[in-house]
Amino acid sequence: MNSERSRIKCRPKWRKVAYGGRQPGYDDNYTDESFLEEMVMNANVVKRDLLKVMIDSVSISQYLCIVALVVSTWSYTLSLVIDDVTLLKLDISLLLVGFSMLLVTTCPFSLKLFSKYVLNITFFISGLYVLAPIYQTLTRSISSDSIWALAACLLLVHLFLHDYSGSTIKPPGTHNNPKLTSNISLNASIVASVLVASRLPSRLHVFAIMLFSLQIFLFAPLIVFCIKKYSLRLHLIFSFALMVITLSIMYQLHRMFFILLLALIVFISIVCPYWLIRIQEYKFEINGPWDEAKLCFDITE
Amino acid sequence: MDGDGKRHRILMVSDFFFPNFGGVESHIYYLSQCLLKLGHKVVVMTHAYGSRSGVRYVTGGLKVYYVPWKPFLMQNTLPTLFLTFPIVRTILIREKISVFTLADFDQAICVSHTSKENTVLRSGISPQKVFMVPNAVDTAMFTPSPERLSCDEIVIVVISRLVYRKGADLLVEVIPEVCRLFPKVRFIVGGDGPKRVRLEEMREKFSLQDRVEMLGAVPHAQVRSVLISGHIFLNSSLTEAFCIAILEAASCGLLTVSTRVGGVPEVLPDDMIVLAQPAPEDMVRAVKKAIDMLPGIDPQMKKLYSWDDVAKRTEIVYDRAMQSSKTDLLERLPRYLTCGAWAGKLFCLVMIINYLLWCLLEYLQPTEGIEEVPDIRLVYAHLESVNDMCRIQSEGN
Repeated sequence: MNSERSRIKCRPKWRKVAYGGRQPGYDDNYTDESFLEEMVMNANVVKRDLLKVMIDSVSISQYLCIVALVVSTWSYTLSLVIDDVTLLKLDISLLLVGFSMLLVTTCPFSLKLFSKYVLNITFFISGLYVLAPIYQTLTRSISSDSIWALAACLLLVHLFLHDYSGSTIKPPGTHNNPKLTSNISLNASIVASVLVASRLPSRLHVFAIMLFSLQIFLFAPLIVFCIKKYSLRLHLIFSFALMVITLSIMYQLHRMFFILLLALIVFISIVCPYWLIRIQEYKFEINGPWDEAKLCFDITE
Repeated sequence: MDGDGKRHRILMVSDFFFPNFGGVESHIYYLSQCLLKLGHKVVVMTHAYGSRSGVRYVTGGLKVYYVPWKPFLMQNTLPTLFLTFPIVRTILIREKISVFTLADFDQAICVSHTSKENTVLRSGISPQKVFMVPNAVDTAMFTPSPERLSCDEIVIVVISRLVYRKGADLLVEVIPEVCRLFPKVRFIVGGDGPKRVRLEEMREKFSLQDRVEMLGAVPHAQVRSVLISGHIFLNSSLTEAFCIAILEAASCGLLTVSTRVGGVPEVLPDDMIVLAQPAPEDMVRAVKKAIDMLPGIDPQMKKLYSWDDVAKRTEIVYDRAMQSSKTDLLERLPRYLTCGAWAGKLFCLVMIINYLLWCLLEYLQPTEGIEEVPDIRLVYAHLESVNDMCRIQSEGN
């Protein structure tokens, strides 16, 4: 026993090296006190605050309300409650409101950018007007049920894959790099609009509803992003106003949709943030020298 | 050949073996050769490579089973495991490898201390059961060049697969910077891969055609001749458990510059390697330090690593594994349940299916029916007459 202890006492210090064979006095399965010393736990985990998460979730419920408004406009148009002239007036007023929001929120007002937008919008509108007859007869041979089902599925896909963080929207004029899912969601919404528009009786109807839908789906994310960047308070006021308007319109449209929308908004704004914070405690990340190193620069192909 | 200590019958199972060349392949090959010299019986099992299928014998009487895995639809491991189970069982019984059913491991071997930490963390196995036995290098094959290279022009050698994992992107950033700062430096880049295109583009962009030589894929037999034409070996990999390439370079007398990842800091002493963070600026700094250190290096690889030492240490682990108690399947099942909420139950299910499959195979193809391979001991000494050879062979049976 004494010889064992003295053998242990006068052995050289253990070093964390692989060369030189087995270290004298130590077995190969010897585990030093410095074992797992360089392990780092939960290094990248962000501590979340309930109120901040709830405010962030407002973007999602706001977009949900926008889509609900579009759907209610579609159903009113399809049941011919709104006629084509009213719809055109709605389109023009939306366009003007959107433009003014954009001008108010982007501080350096540049005439070049403004004229570029006007030019693009003009091309867009004239293109739509020319193509309206094609859309009108697109789905004549398909039954209505298939159209509603397909449109509903596409809208769901659009909502799921939509980029709510606004990370793919860069300030107007800069080169942006959209992700695949945001492209898919945009395409799904456009196809849904085309399908619904093709069910309408007259050419002007088709043109007006297409203009309305595409205006919202293409430009609403940009407007919302600009408002959010400009002032958080304006963003919150806008979102609440939008939610109130949407809920009141839904109430008049169909009770079931109203209840569904209300439940969804409550779920997104209150239940999900609380749930996220609850399960955040179970997060367990381990990092250490054994991990693959991350490159600190971007690889430009 | 009647050694003291127990003689083991070892089966090495690996996806990677000759004719492929790499770290795992050379480890298994050299370790098997040394274990054979120590008197154990070693058999290697791997998958068939093209037309190379069946049983082959390589140097030293090492028997290799090239098993044709039946191709499966989705390349799933689970069904492949079950389909090859009969073959594995037959091989195990034929070669008299002593194992009851697919035992879960008693001991584990890791090639570096960092790798041991990672293994213990991820698998939950007790650290006392994990042994650290490093790789080694064939010092007979990788010898330094007979005459020292002149130091007017410094040659930096890079030999690696040009993939993301091996830091090819870091090379793209580092090479132009080093060429700009040190006019006397020349690069030799060997190896092929998806990132080769990026390196060629870099060469074009900075007009380094006369300073960066791209060799393409280098066959294993010519690696040494490429290495001895350089002064410094550059390794930029982003993750490594051990990195034998560094050992081969040091064995050929080169000074190594490498990224400080995984087990690399443990491999060589400080006078033979310069470490850097995996960032271009730090690597350029390390190359500068290496160039300054160059006149005074003197590598002594023979004292640091040898396959015989690795084989002896592995033998100790095998002895320890055989000593630990053999537990019944029923006793082991509760241990699997602790692996995780879903994973534990899945492992139990797999083990039960394996056991049932084993019983079925026992019924269909009983152990007694499978012919066992006689222990043929290779004789290394020169024999006087044919009679001696016959006598020794009959003793071996």
